Amino acid sequence: MATQHSRAAARFMISPSVLLLLGWMLIPLGMTIYFSLLRYNLLMPGEHPFVGWENYSYFLSDPAFKIALVNTLLLVGGVLIITVIGGVLLGLLLDQVMWGQGIVRILVIAPFFVMPTVSALVWKNMFMNPVNGLFAYLAKFLGLQPIDFLAQAPLMSIIGIVSWQWLPFATLILLTAMQSLDQEQLEAAEMDGAGPFSRFFYIVVPHLSRAVTVVILIQTIFLLSVFAEILVTTNGGPGNASTNLTYLVYAESLLRFDVGTGSAGGVVAIVLANIVAIFLMRMIGKNLDA
Amino acid sequence: MARKVSTRRKAVNTGIAWTVGLLIFFPILWTVLTSFKTEAQAIADPPIWFNFHWTLENYVTVQERSNYFRHFWNSVVISVGSTLIGLAIAVPAAWAMAFVPGKRTKDLLMWMLSTKMLPPVGVLVPIYLLFQRFGLLDTQVGLIIVLTLINLPIIVWMLYTYFREIPVDILEAARMDGAGLKDEVISVLLPMAVPGMASTVLLNIILAWNEAFWTLNLTAAKAAPLTAFIASYSSPEGLFYAKLSAASTMAIAPILIMGWFSQKQLVRGLTFGAVK
Repeated sequence: MATQHSRAAARFMISPSVLLLLGWMLIPLGMTIYFSLLRYNLLMPGEHPFVGWENYSYFLSDPAFKIALVNTLLLVGGVLIITVIGGVLLGLLLDQVMWGQGIVRILVIAPFFVMPTVSALVWKNMFMNPVNGLFAYLAKFLGLQPIDFLAQAPLMSIIGIVSWQWLPFATLILLTAMQSLDQEQLEAAEMDGAGPFSRFFYIVVPHLSRAVTVVILIQTIFLLSVFAEILVTTNGGPGNASTNLTYLVYAESLLRFDVGTGSAGGVVAIVLANIVAIFLMRMIGKNLDA
Repeated sequence: MARKVSTRRKAVNTGIAWTVGLLIFFPILWTVLTSFKTEAQAIADPPIWFNFHWTLENYVTVQERSNYFRHFWNSVVISVGSTLIGLAIAVPAAWAMAFVPGKRTKDLLMWMLSTKMLPPVGVLVPIYLLFQRFGLLDTQVGLIIVLTLINLPIIVWMLYTYFREIPVDILEAARMDGAGLKDEVISVLLPMAVPGMASTVLLNIILAWNEAFWTLNLTAAKAAPLTAFIASYSSPEGLFYAKLSAASTMAIAPILIMGWFSQKQLVRGLTFGAVK
């Protein structure tokens, strides 16, 4: 159907998007790679000599990098475990017959729409604060010693906050997948004598595996870049206890003004994210053919 | 879908689901309640639930002390502006890819998606320095540029999945009936494309409104949207729960309402059509 003429028109219509994204990708990316090879600190005016891999070896051998890398993995892994398991359970729950299903659904989805700085501050002050937070009241009510969550278990606390934000996303996607499950198949299995557990593990779980994969991959992309929650709760501390890779690069670049090292860290972050991205792209690409 | 269950079972389901739902929603509910208390009531021990003297003074104070509505307006300008500009750039591209697909359309879509995978911190330094150089730091224009670019792939993708569902045969039919190109676009295609475009706009405003990496790093006092303004409450002197709650409630209310309207499109938009 497509003629020579419409092809040319199509190319013309697509080109603004392509050119803008190409520029957005190549210019800053090229600059990051270039800066990562220079000794370049905003506090030290003058020349920016070429130093090769020096920034990389400095960044990678910094003890803070190892801590940040472990924290990043714990943060991503912890939130994924909580949201995927919680999402499956909540999805199953919301898929049941009940009164006011639409309203419950709305209540469960709501945290996803709360901006990161608000949810982090509300949790930090009104729940986790060791003096005035609701958790402290609850602890005192139960006769326990209140915990200073963000000082004693900063990373765990941030994992909790971020999980609260992402649980709705996992739930919504898994629920959507569950609702596309063929009910007749389940009923047939039930008639053949399959119990609730074997029905769940042999029919529901295989059906959900694709949605779970999508949830894991998309969340990972976003979770690798968690930033605002850390900035407003702990500033990466105490020490580096809650610093992830994103926060470490931010601190090198905009707090210590070390453009060279910050850029090297940025390249490391890009490489890590790309490993995940490749798997995600394959999943989505397969779907395009279907 | 109609499954028959006993009333008893339905009642149990309802009880459990409502309890869990309210627990998850509780932090938001508590924030809204606290915003109507006085500072003393907000930190009262034991906590006060509903029987306090409801007041609007926090909302007034927040506006008076920090010119709240300027930041609110910044959020509106930045999220709506970046979405509309993104839409203007993306509609032709998605249209062409959906109706005149070529051999490389799929590769092109995948490549656009891949730009979204770039972690923002990877390009923080150059963007910051470029912004500094061109005087874009702490300006609405600067943020609109960045947010347009980071959300462009999502807009193109969402529109593409919607446009692809428009049956092309209907165009043939319209042509047979003697419709010209102009009629074709305005009275046949447009009405079918509008719902998809509306969902795309809604979801992108939400994403842009809540974006909290670039807005925090590229703004200071002047162009700060609500994400960045609220972050200023993280300082110790910001331990005013009632005022924090009032500022937070106003910041999340519009988006909560929009979000509830767009929950169906959310899945499609955020999974790039991989789950529908």
